[in-house]
Amino acid sequence: MSWLDFFSSRESSCNVSFGRGINADISPKEEELFYSSYEAFEKKNRLDGYEYFFRSLINFSKDVSNENITFSRDEDTLHFTILQGTAKVTGTITKEALYAESNIVKSSSATVALKRYILERNYQFTYSNYFSDGEFIKLKLHQDNIILSPQKIFFPLRELALNADFDKEHIKSEFKDVVIEDISHIQQIDSPDFTQKKEVQIKYDYLMKWIEELEEKVLTLPSNDNSGMQSFLYLNILFKIDYLLSPKFAFYQKLSKKVNEYFSNENGTIEAKNEEMKRYVLSLKEMDFAAFKENFYSAKYTFNPIEKSSYDDVVVFIAESQKKIKWYKNNRYIQIIPTIYNYIAFYSLYNYGMNPLLHELFHILTKVQNSEFFAEMGCEALYDARTQSFMKKSITNRIKKLADDNAQKYKNLILIPEELNFASMNEFCASYYAMLKNLDFEEV
Amino acid sequence: MNTQEILETYVESIMQIMTPYGSGTGFVIGDLIVTNSHVVGGLKEVVVSAKELKRTIAKVVYDDPYLDLAFIKCEMKTPQTPLLLATKNVDDGDTIVAVGHPYGLNYTATEGIVSRASRLQDDLEYIQMDAAINPGNSGGPLLNIEGAVVGVNTFIIQNANNLGFALPFFYLKDALDAYKAQSSESIIRCPSCKNLIEEESIQDNYCPECGVKLEVAKQRKKGYTPTGPTKVIEDILSSIEIDVTLSRRSQAAWRIDEGSARIDINYYDNGIIIGDAKLCAIPSEKIDAIYDYMLRENEKLSYLQFSINENSIYLSYLIVDSSLTFDEGKIAIERLIKNANKYDDILIKEYGAIEQKRDEED
Repeated sequence: MSWLDFFSSRESSCNVSFGRGINADISPKEEELFYSSYEAFEKKNRLDGYEYFFRSLINFSKDVSNENITFSRDEDTLHFTILQGTAKVTGTITKEALYAESNIVKSSSATVALKRYILERNYQFTYSNYFSDGEFIKLKLHQDNIILSPQKIFFPLRELALNADFDKEHIKSEFKDVVIEDISHIQQIDSPDFTQKKEVQIKYDYLMKWIEELEEKVLTLPSNDNSGMQSFLYLNILFKIDYLLSPKFAFYQKLSKKVNEYFSNENGTIEAKNEEMKRYVLSLKEMDFAAFKENFYSAKYTFNPIEKSSYDDVVVFIAESQKKIKWYKNNRYIQIIPTIYNYIAFYSLYNYGMNPLLHELFHILTKVQNSEFFAEMGCEALYDARTQSFMKKSITNRIKKLADDNAQKYKNLILIPEELNFASMNEFCASYYAMLKNLDFEEV
Repeated sequence: MNTQEILETYVESIMQIMTPYGSGTGFVIGDLIVTNSHVVGGLKEVVVSAKELKRTIAKVVYDDPYLDLAFIKCEMKTPQTPLLLATKNVDDGDTIVAVGHPYGLNYTATEGIVSRASRLQDDLEYIQMDAAINPGNSGGPLLNIEGAVVGVNTFIIQNANNLGFALPFFYLKDALDAYKAQSSESIIRCPSCKNLIEEESIQDNYCPECGVKLEVAKQRKKGYTPTGPTKVIEDILSSIEIDVTLSRRSQAAWRIDEGSARIDINYYDNGIIIGDAKLCAIPSEKIDAIYDYMLRENEKLSYLQFSINENSIYLSYLIVDSSLTFDEGKIAIERLIKNANKYDDILIKEYGAIEQKRDEED
C-alpha cells in the first residue's frame, strides 16, 4: 500500500531512530491483511474488516509487535487504541459507525487563545473536529459504516491521530501553562522506561559542537556577498538537527517554524532571514542540558506525518543544487561546497516523503558525511575523518544489499556502487548524487 | 454623462447571467435581455438577476452562435430609464464605457477609448477598445458617453493588456428585428446559412435549410445533466425542496440562503464536498463564552461542526465524494440548512456576535 511506503527499518547494529519516520518494520502480512480487510468490508463483515485493517497497521521491531494499535472485540463492538506520539486515540466500532477520540487538555485549563486555536484548526480538518465534553477538550471522529474500504478508514484515522499528536506538541510549546493530557503512554527522559539517556547526552554534546563549528565556518566566508553561503550554513544545521537529533515538543516546533519562515517569507531579505536563523541558533547554544532533555521522549507511532513526494521532485532538487555547487566552484568559493553536499541530503530527508529504498540511500550518505556522530551513537562508522578514508567495502555492500533486496520490486533498478568515487569527500558526494539521480523505480 | 452617472442611470438594465458553466453580463433592450451566445452555454434556461430582480430562471429564446448573441426572456419590470441602441457608429478615439460583472464583481463600469472602430474578425466587424474588460463582462453593453448602446462586449485577447472587442450595435439591431419577425420563442440562428430556424423544426440537430450540424441545437436538447456526486448533491437539494437551478452557482457549487444564514456547498477537485454556512463574525466582548458554546455544541452535533476562519464563525459539513450517499447526505444538508439559521440567531442574540454584511446578490 502506497501510504505505508514510508516505513524505514531500524539498523540492526545501531538501536537509534533518525528522522521523523516510523522507524519500525511493516507487518510481514500487511498486504494480505489489507486485502482481507477489503474483502470483509465487501461482504459487509464490518468488524472483521476493521480488525484486519488494524492488524495491517501494527508495526514491528525485530519481529516483535510494537503494540502501536491494540484492540478487543465482543460480539457486536470492537474497541481500539491507536498510539501516535503524544496522542492516544481510543474508539469503538459497531456495525453502524466508528467513533474515535483523543484527549488533548482539560477544558478548565484552556485559555481563550487555545480555544481560538483549536476552533481555527476545526476549519482545516476534513474528518475530525474539536469539542469539549465539559471536562476535556478532545479531537473526535465519527464515521458511519455505510460505504467502507480500508482506504476510507485510513485517511480519517490518520487525520485524527496525526493532528492530535501535532496539536499536543504545539500546545505544550505555545501555551506553556497548559498541561497536555493523556500522555502516560510516552516515555520521557526521566521515566525509568526511557532507555536512551546516554544518546540524549551525546545529542546535546553534538549540538554544541555543531554550533561551534558553524560559528567558525561563518568566519571563513568572504566578508561581503556571503548571504547565500550563510543561508546554506544555517539551514543545513537546522535540517541536520531535525534528522540526526530529532527533538520534539518546543524544540521541534520552533525549529520547523524557523525553516518555514525562511522559505515562506517572500518579502524579507536573505540577510534578514540569516540574521533570524543566527539568533535562533545562538539561542540553542544557550540551552542547558536540563532544558534540552525535556524535548525528547520515546513513543509509538502508527502513521507517518510526511506526505509522499515523487522521485522526480528529489531529482530536480539535486540537479538544482548541483548547479549552485558549480557556481560556487567557478567563483572560487570552495569552502561552502561540503556544506551544500550535506544540505542536499538533510533538506531532502526533511522535505520529501521518499520510498524506503531512496530514503535508505540518503541515510547511508548522511552516515558517511556524519560518521563521527553515528559512531558515537553506536552505529558503524563509514568514514574516518582523521585519515580521510572511506569504509569502502561496507558502503558498497550496503548499497548492493539494497539493490538485491529490491530487485524483485523495481525491475529496472540499477545501483552500481563500484562507480562511486572514493578519492575525497566532495568527489564521493558528487558521484553519490549522480547515482541517486539515475534510479528507476518502475515497479514490476 | 460621466462613467458614474451612466452606471447609476442604467444600472436597472444591467443583468447578471448565470449557468453551471460560468457567469456573464446581459442588458435589457425592450422586453428582451441581450447577452452573448457563449454566456448562455447552449442552455434553454439560465438564471438571471439584477438590481430590482432576484435570481430568476429565464428562458433563452434566441441563440445565435454566428454573431455570438443570445436573447433571454423573463418576467421583469421595465427599467425606469431603459437602454436604447445608438443610432450612429463610434469613431476611433471615442470615449466608451463597458458595464458588467467582471469576475463576478457586480456592476462595474470601466471607461476606455475606441482603439479602432471597425476591426474585421472573420467576416464580422468589431469595435476594438482599450477599456479593461475581463471574464464576466461578456454579453454586457458598451455605451457611448450619451449612454446609448454602441456594442455588445464579446471577447478579449487573453494575456494582452486591455484589448477588448465588442459587436457593433447594428448587428444587434438586425438580429433583434429578425427575431421579432418570428412567431416562435425558440430560435436558433444557423452559423452557416445564417437563417433563423425554429427549434421545433430541427431534426437530428441538422439545419433544415443548409444541412449543417447545429451544435447549439444539440446542446439545448441535451441540457445540463449532472453526474456522480454532483447529481447526488442536486438530488438531495431537490428532495428538500430547494430549487436546484436557482441555487446552482457552477457545476460544483451551490448557494442557499436560509433566514439570515447563507450556505455554500462546494465540491472540490480533491474529492471533498464542503457545506459551509458562514455565520456571524465573532463579537468584541464575551468572546471566551462564545468559544465555549461552540465547543460544547460540537459535542452534540453530528455531521456538523463549528469552526472559525478569518474572524467568522462557520457551521460546516464535510464529506469525501466516495462516501456520499443520498440518505446520509440528505440528513446532513438538511441539518446544516436548518441549524445554520438557528445558530446564527442564537449567536447574534445571545452572544452578541456580529451579523455578516453581504454584497447585493453576490
